[in-house]
Amino acid sequence: MKQEFETDFWKDAKSRMIWDDIVPGEPRPTIPYTLTLEAIQRYCRAVGDLHPLYFDEKYARQTIYGGLIAPPSIHALLMFACTPKDDWMRSPGTINAGQSWSYHEPARPGDTITLRARALDKFIKKERLFAIHDNVFFNQHGEVICAGRGWTIRPI
Amino acid sequence: MINLFDTLTPGYRIEGPEFAVSRESIRAFCEASLDYNPLHLDDNYMQSNFGKTHFGGIIMHGMNIFGLLTRLLTDWAYPVNAVHRRLETRWLKPVKPGDVIRPHGMVKAKQVTAKSRWVTIDVEVRNQRDEKVATGEALVEFPVEAAP
Repeated sequence: MKQEFETDFWKDAKSRMIWDDIVPGEPRPTIPYTLTLEAIQRYCRAVGDLHPLYFDEKYARQTIYGGLIAPPSIHALLMFACTPKDDWMRSPGTINAGQSWSYHEPARPGDTITLRARALDKFIKKERLFAIHDNVFFNQHGEVICAGRGWTIRPI
Repeated sequence: MINLFDTLTPGYRIEGPEFAVSRESIRAFCEASLDYNPLHLDDNYMQSNFGKTHFGGIIMHGMNIFGLLTRLLTDWAYPVNAVHRRLETRWLKPVKPGDVIRPHGMVKAKQVTAKSRWVTIDVEVRNQRDEKVATGEALVEFPVEAAP
């Protein structure tokens, strides 16, 4: 599957929902994503985590994981990989205020990952526009990889 | 393997390595996470005001800091077959190129449930001025079957 990514987040800014448009409870459109070993390792290098469970297949096979896995926080990548370019998470100026994530099955190289996502809530606090998003990532077997919520401050 | 769960007491500390933040490290996280928000790329854009907040230059991704906290937990859990199950964080201060940050953890409580054993850990990240830039809480599972 060819996976192209628009890195200019201004380009589709006009087509994205602003805070006023966000409907709590409404599902966000998502796209399946095939997680490669290359993408996992690029992510690991960026956060400075070179654990052999992510790099050394021989080592990983002898552990309880039975093979290479991705680090739990790989959902940082999956969030952008599994959402279309007009998703409001990409709005320039979106500020991350907080996150909470629960982990179940590890993501593995070659997994085809799907996302079930929705806005959960929106509110105003200290003149800031907040949205809470609720996300669950699944592997190709329908198993939950991780589930989490994010609190973002929306650009005005 | 030592049975770490039994010996843990509140106040037990877990320390992670330092992370030096640079324009290059922020750019690398853009490419690794596909988060190309101009907050992390565009100094001109960052001269503008965000409500009452003025950053004055590009900032590190919150999720990169989340990744450092994750490593703090997994580096501690993997060798004893414990499993990192949950991480909750809040960001308190922006982190900028030139900053050096470091994640810390401290065991808060232990809990035995019907099917497993759990440790809650307070986590935080501090910069070179000892300012807290992120705070949170984690949950690590010590499965019974993995115990010696």
